[in-house]
Amino acid sequence: MSSFSRSAQQWATFARSWFLIDARMQPPGKIASMCSVRLQGKHKPIYHPMSDIGDHVVVMNTRHIAFSGNKWEQKVYSSHTGYPGSFKQLTAAQMHKKDPTAIIKLAVYGMLPKNLTRRTMMQRLHLFTDDVLPEDILENLTEELPQPREIPRKLSEYTQEECDAFPMLWTP
Amino acid sequence: MTARGTPSRFLQSVLHNGVGRYVCQLKRISLIFSKKGQGSLGVRDFIEEGVVDFAKNNPGTVVYISPQSCRIPKIVAEYLNGNVKEETVTNKTSQEIVELITKLSNQSGLDIIRIRKPFHTDSPSIQGQWHPFTNRPPSIDPVGPQAK
Repeated sequence: MSSFSRSAQQWATFARSWFLIDARMQPPGKIASMCSVRLQGKHKPIYHPMSDIGDHVVVMNTRHIAFSGNKWEQKVYSSHTGYPGSFKQLTAAQMHKKDPTAIIKLAVYGMLPKNLTRRTMMQRLHLFTDDVLPEDILENLTEELPQPREIPRKLSEYTQEECDAFPMLWTP
Repeated sequence: MTARGTPSRFLQSVLHNGVGRYVCQLKRISLIFSKKGQGSLGVRDFIEEGVVDFAKNNPGTVVYISPQSCRIPKIVAEYLNGNVKEETVTNKTSQEIVELITKLSNQSGLDIIRIRKPFHTDSPSIQGQWHPFTNRPPSIDPVGPQAK
């Protein structure tokens, strides 16, 4: 890379990448924190809050996110338009049914810095409910990020040999 | 005026002067004075005392003495990069003119404007400047859901 001209080196250093995250069976908060780090550009050593060096992040399978605990029923998203009588409260399950990308969108929005650059960063976040991505976005992707949570295997996914090899803990 | 309204430049040296040999950047210095005006008194004293020593100490600089009928005596310094600097020396003492001439001979000919940074390097990065693929593990498979 030392053979680059000055302008080519500058272009390489400040290039904007596209990241892909698969949100299947992942907690939306962890996905959102990974997104916010990359949208701000904090994963780069050249980070500065005033230079617009965030990258694009594409999240797929947002329909299949997995809240831990009872958050699907207990977590409440509230909104008020300002007019009397328009205070709405939706549980996470209702919100997800209405718009499968809203939970991750609101989580990322809350994790970004609360300044004017937040809206630009949100424009660089691309959310898709399933793993069908448009072609122009597929062409731009450069790296897939590892999932934050290891997905536990279901009992039906274990082979019979593994079930038999499991040690007998006690005789029932 | 503000820093934005006035010209500015980056720190530089003329052809890395001083890394190898040092070349005095003052090419020519012309003393324009009058033989009989009071303003040129300091210049005339300087010419009596100091100019020959100065010329001996700076063999690379050409010294021109031009007595003319002029109201204001001047020192015109020309540098190797083409810049010309004129200083009026009316009513200056010989000592002040000596200091002025040493200052002019120590300058390179670069413009005296705001220097943007007090440092400059031709090799800003030793290990290579970071780019997004510096520490990224290489992968052959295309990125996307089809890869699954």
